Order: sequence, then structure tokens, then C-alpha cells
Amino acid sequence: MTSAAEQTRSEIVAMLPRLRRFARALTGSVPDADDIVQIAVERALMRIDQFQQGTRLDSWLFSITRNAWIDEARSRTRRGKVFAPAEAGEQVGFGGEAEVHAKLEADDVWTAMRKLPEEQREAVALVCVEGLAYREAADALGVPIGTLTSRLARGREALQVMLGGAT
Amino acid sequence: MSVDDEKLMAFVDGELAGAEHAEIEAALEHDVGLRAKVEAHRAMRSRLSGAFDSALSEPVPEQLLAAATKRGADVVNLAERRAFKWSAREFGAMAASVALGLVIGVGVMQAPPQPMLAPTSNGLVAGGALDRALNTQLASDQAGAVRIGVSFRDQEGDYCRTFDLTEGGASGLACRENSSWTIQLMSDSSAGGEIRQAGASPEVLNAVDAMIAGEALDAESERAARDAGWR
Repeated sequence: MTSAAEQTRSEIVAMLPRLRRFARALTGSVPDADDIVQIAVERALMRIDQFQQGTRLDSWLFSITRNAWIDEARSRTRRGKVFAPAEAGEQVGFGGEAEVHAKLEADDVWTAMRKLPEEQREAVALVCVEGLAYREAADALGVPIGTLTSRLARGREALQVMLGGAT
Repeated sequence: MSVDDEKLMAFVDGELAGAEHAEIEAALEHDVGLRAKVEAHRAMRSRLSGAFDSALSEPVPEQLLAAATKRGADVVNLAERRAFKWSAREFGAMAASVALGLVIGVGVMQAPPQPMLAPTSNGLVAGGALDRALNTQLASDQAGAVRIGVSFRDQEGDYCRTFDLTEGGASGLACRENSSWTIQLMSDSSAGGEIRQAGASPEVLNAVDAMIAGEALDAESERAARDAGWR
């Protein structure tokens, strides 16, 4: 393995928290998200020599993660296994009583995100959760930029309806 | 959502620059309704990121760190491991479908594989596995030899679809004309890895932008168009 690949490898490790966040936004479930990230990391390492230095590693990894999710969702449907139901309280990371409000608020957002069509959810996850620019998000999803923005607009509109204005 | 709303969204997302940005800033000065919309967009963005941000502060599970730090031969593919477990568990069903597969397989093996691209008097058209994928495969389907990207109608009302070949990394754009898929463009570059495999060749995407009428089909209309035979 070249030293450029070694460099990429350590950057992948540094990206793990963001990949987990993105995968949670996609799957709506902490255990599913970690499964997807694991598959994506394994795939990325197997193709590490395909990564072009100087291009954006995060877009490349988001793209691999998103494809892993599509493949996984597809194969689960085929073998009749339902997705891990998102139970209230499933999201870890919330501490004591004081954070109950934050947790309920997050539950609402997770539920609303899961109700979005896949192509709107992935657009919202890349732009609004991960903060990618439109061009980068469109490249990661393999769609023209106009398609990205219209999916993003529809996704946001639906979220606004489901979640209302107030927090 | 009107064009103005999309522009407002782009403003909130930091996608506008120069005159376009200044134009919205100026409008915000005296338009209370517009300010409220911008605030609603900003509030939604912060709610969305806030709901998932806990992933950033939690420790990464050992298992993931281990996966990311494994070396070459140690890398064991989780998806393959699972597929194996599943096939063992579902062996009865598998055995039945393997038997069926053998029957079908004998028929298939007698015919030589058809080329994916065939020159005709109408230009280059899709054949073999590419033709089958363009006819039947949805963007959400597991990729075989071909992965389907975006489907849309061009300005003449014909359906067009982007695709890429999982072997070799070539991607392209085909439109439905005279009951076959005419290749509009092939972009052949094996570099770029995953992003290319998602069908995002810049040449192909530029061609889509130039040809598309309205928006790309969503999953539901893609399925409906497929079921109607792309007519």
C-alpha cells in the first residue's frame, strides 16, 4: 500500500464520526447505521487505490456509504427481514433527566426523516445534516445539480409540514 | 415550491454569491414575510443537524475502529459474511432456487452472450444486458453488470436514462427511440472509483442538464414508466 493510501486510511478513521451521523440520518437507526458504516469502510479500504488524491474524501465516502445502504436495504427486502424498528429511546447519547427534552425533539426529527422518500432523505442528509455544497452532494449521489435541489426542496417542504415551525 | 423559494433555500444554504446574494439581502431588509421564511429554513437546518449531532461526540465503537484499521488481507467483507450466514439458514429455499437456476442456466448457456452495444442504421443502440437493464432495472435495484442512475423525459417527451457499467467504469446516457435504447453519449474513464460508479460522470450529467424537460423521475414515476414499457 502506498503512503498516499496510508494517508487516506487515517483520514477515513477521522471521518468515522461523520459517517455515523450521515448513516443515522439515512437509516433512522443507530445499529443499522453502524452496520452500514462498517460495510462502507470495508469497501472503501478494498478500493482505496481508486481514490484520487486531491478530490474530496468525504464525498467519496458518503457516496460509498449511501450505496452500501441501498444495497443493504435491497437485500433485506429480498430476504423479508424488516429494518430495526426505531424505538423511542433507541438513539444512544442522551444522558440524564435534563436532556429529556432534547431527546424527544430528536425523536421527532428521526421519525420525520424516516418518512421521507429515499431520494429526498439522502439529499437532506448530505446538505442539511452534513453541510455539503450542492455540487458535492450532487456528485456524491450521481445526479445533476437541478435534480438535487428539487429533491432537497421537496424534502424540506415535507419536513416542515411534519415538524411544524416550533421546536 | 416556487422558483423564489428555491432561491431562498439556496441563500440559506450559502449557495448564492455576488449579485444574487445581495439581491436577497436587500429584499430581506424590508420584507418581513421573507425574513420569516429564512428564519424557518435556518431553524429547520439547525434542528436537523442537532438531531444527529450526538454521533459526533459519542465514542466510535471498537468494531468500527477495528474495521477501519485492518490491513489488506485482514479485511473481511461484512456483507459477504452475512450473505453466507443467510444462505446457510435458508438452505432449503436456496436449494430449490438453485435447482430452478440450473434448468434456466442450461438454456442460457447455449446462447452466446450478446454485446451490450450494437451499431444500427439509427446509430448505436443498447443490446444484451444493457438493453435488459435499461428496460427493466430501477435505480434502486441491486446493480448487476449495469447500474441505473437518473431517468427523465427529454424535450421531445422520450424517456432517457443514465447508466454505468460495473466493469470498466464507463458511463453513458440512452434514450428510448423507435422501441430501442439509442446511446446518446458514452463516457469512458475507469478512474474515479465510487463516484464514477454512482453514474456521476460530468460529461453525462452535463448532457442530462442540456436535454432534461422538467425534473428527473422520482422512484414512483420511474417504476410507472418502466411498467408502461417506456412509452
